[in-house]
Amino acid sequence: MRSGIRPQEHWRAKRFRYRLEVLRCSSCGTVNMTPRRVCRRCRSTSLVPERLPERARLLAFTEVKSTTDIHEETAPYLVGLLEFEDGTRIVAQLTDVDYEELRPGMEMEAVVRKIAQDGESGVIVYGFKFRPVIA
Amino acid sequence: MSRVKDVAILGYGGYVPRYRIKASEIARVWGREDDALPIKEKSVNSIDEDVITMAIEACRYALRRAGIDLRKVGAVNVGSESHPYAVKPTGTVVAEALGIPPTHLSADLEFACKAGTEAMQMIAGLVSSGLIECGIAVGADTAQGRPSDALEFTAAAGAAAFVLGRSNGDEVAVIEHMVSYVTDTPDFWRRAHERYPRHASRFTGEPAYFHHTVSAVRALLEETGLRVSDIDYFVFHQPNYKFPYAAAKILQIPKEKVDPGVVTNVIGNTYAACSPLGLVRVLDQAKPGQKIVLTSFGSGAGSDSFLIVTKDGLERKRNLAPLLDSLIARAKYIDYARYLRHREKIRTS
Amino acid sequence: MRTVHVAGAGYTKVSEHWERSLTELAAEAALAAIRDAGVERVDAIYLGNATAEITSHQIGISAIVSEELGLSGVPAIRIECGEASGMAAFVQAHAAVSSGLVEVALVVGAEKLSDLMPEEYNTVYTMTLPHETMGFAGITPAAVAALLYRIYTERYEVPQEFVAQFPVLMHRNAKGVPHAQFPFEVKLEDVLSSPYVAPPLRRLETTAPCDGAAALVLVSGDSLGSVRSGSVTRVGGVSLRTDYVSPFDREDPLFVSSVALSVEEVLLRSGIDRNDVDVLEVHDSFSIMAPLILESAGFAPRGRSGLLLKDGSYDLNGELPINTFGGLKARGHPFGATALYQLAELHLQLTGRAGKNQVEKARSGLAISTSGLGAISGAAVLLGGDGA
Repeated sequence: MRSGIRPQEHWRAKRFRYRLEVLRCSSCGTVNMTPRRVCRRCRSTSLVPERLPERARLLAFTEVKSTTDIHEETAPYLVGLLEFEDGTRIVAQLTDVDYEELRPGMEMEAVVRKIAQDGESGVIVYGFKFRPVIA
Repeated sequence: MSRVKDVAILGYGGYVPRYRIKASEIARVWGREDDALPIKEKSVNSIDEDVITMAIEACRYALRRAGIDLRKVGAVNVGSESHPYAVKPTGTVVAEALGIPPTHLSADLEFACKAGTEAMQMIAGLVSSGLIECGIAVGADTAQGRPSDALEFTAAAGAAAFVLGRSNGDEVAVIEHMVSYVTDTPDFWRRAHERYPRHASRFTGEPAYFHHTVSAVRALLEETGLRVSDIDYFVFHQPNYKFPYAAAKILQIPKEKVDPGVVTNVIGNTYAACSPLGLVRVLDQAKPGQKIVLTSFGSGAGSDSFLIVTKDGLERKRNLAPLLDSLIARAKYIDYARYLRHREKIRTS
Repeated sequence: MRTVHVAGAGYTKVSEHWERSLTELAAEAALAAIRDAGVERVDAIYLGNATAEITSHQIGISAIVSEELGLSGVPAIRIECGEASGMAAFVQAHAAVSSGLVEVALVVGAEKLSDLMPEEYNTVYTMTLPHETMGFAGITPAAVAALLYRIYTERYEVPQEFVAQFPVLMHRNAKGVPHAQFPFEVKLEDVLSSPYVAPPLRRLETTAPCDGAAALVLVSGDSLGSVRSGSVTRVGGVSLRTDYVSPFDREDPLFVSSVALSVEEVLLRSGIDRNDVDVLEVHDSFSIMAPLILESAGFAPRGRSGLLLKDGSYDLNGELPINTFGGLKARGHPFGATALYQLAELHLQLTGRAGKNQVEKARSGLAISTSGLGAISGAAVLLGGDGA
């Protein structure tokens, strides 16, 4: 079995994966990361598109040694829990950094990278990862 | 070609990946002598980087400096010889990642190492004619060199992007003049479906690189009525460390006017991004009111040459994004085995 | 609402059953449970299974299982709630019996994971996390568990051993257990020197791909008279809750509210409180999940369950024995079957058939099953002795 990558699925999710575009609830302020009708916290229908900031703070991190079929060729890779200024948290891959260089509290910035590719002939999926801020 | 009517560089951005491999490491693997290597070290894309991701990085820096409303961007042109797909555009991914609305012209270009400046020419034409308000020109490559080939020492990864538009009083520079000089010269090529390019060895030099580069610069100077002494910086395509200085020597250009725009020794030949990254480095240090001549070279073969004059906006905008030297400085050295992995040269299936 | 009773339990060994299919495993456990219960009929089959379409190329698996049991014609429903599929099936079966719709229900949990390549297993396991925001990016359950682990040891300022000793206890309990996947002891040094899966999480703090099936027969109080089983327990109550799927969207990632709510509810429905629980089954899919569940369920103060374990509270002869046959870590974690192993083992404890693992005077047991690090949690109470 190879789960493969369905271009349709990726196409639907590109606003979030490329630009960190989310829906913020104007009633309770919650960030809803994928398209939806009602706020997941307060069920309000007033959801407004917004781009999350480029920068976030690293709270915790790990290194994924063994992983899923489509990510295997890039393993091991780093994964971090990050927090934006407004308190929204996100789990993402970290890139352009070594495990030993990571420190909790580090400021990181979102970049678009290759997330996975479906072999040599299938589609390439791009999406955000975080890397240390370049001064 | 001739004088360019009202085209300004509103923002510029360069991107170089974090990884480097020393030429001596490549020489070690192939049993070459260490003393006559074409450059010191070259950039290598990360395992998750390609032309699309590097173009996005360079564009983000260029847009930060330009500070324009994304709705004004009417064209995104990406020049590269290593577009990730043979069929499926690079530019559309770049534009969507940046958040540029769909109503823009998108074109992927290829002319070996000249594709980046060709993107600049085309955007300049669209801006100058009034068809678009602003456009983005990108040169980006993750250049392929066949293992053990001379090109492997230099073929590198990088991207440069320029936001062009009408002068808005806050521009970084203006493009005053541009010329192109192209002929059918088979010095270097890659056939469809081939993994690595081939080249005609020393034929790539005199009749190809030097003839086209020198001819383009001479045409530009002749058309503008300027002399070498009127120009503050010359930026050349730099397939190795020697060639740009050899071209300068033919044109009797002092070394000091070439030095600031030479980056090949530390990042290698980034192909379509190569001379554009030289321009980025010059913009990182030039003063307003200085004249720059940028001349690319692409095998096949041809050169584009631009007269660029810096403006007051340059010093205000320069520090809105990282300088090229700070991207170069974050070098992380890798060995040949790791390099093979980053370049997807190891068969795993 | 009528009372619901467990009249029999059956299970296979948790192992790599190369020679047996998903259906055969389900049937083996089901037939053993039917035999144990001594029932003549089954009115409905509830099958807990998470991955049949991937591992066994099968949807509509419930009809395959009913046919395998010679029970074609009987209503059969497959229930999928990730790793908690077995508990969800039990909850549905309980509802059917207590409502009067069904007199005798067969609940089977079955999973066949050993045919998967390691990366395929990771792919399937990662499906318990939201694909659109985490799975697509290669964020695996182990990665999420590792982040929780890090936050836990930092916030409560406890050494890694406080978490890493949970697998040691599990292996001690599983030692010599015939149906356990790993029936041997490991030392803390073994755990802490095993390779990293996602630091600080190590190999011996996770579960391994395996196959297994477990089954229970549920009988209504009204029909209990027609059952020949000599070992009956009563279902005190059941509950199933959900939470935000990513732990980091929860108010506190270290507080699993689906566990807290389902445990609170099941205790209320069963009319017992925490002190009445004699045996507890927790979903230790990763070492860190054991303390998170114990603390979210209110069985240990926050950050203190490691200390209680060190003091022996969770040992077989301790104050609150947990995972008496080795839990997910050592008995094994065949996703959709796991909760039914938990319940079958509680049933053994409460009917005095737990052998060398018997907890003295065990009268009430609580099982907590979880999927996706707390996205779905279910809890069930079984009562033995006079309470049965």
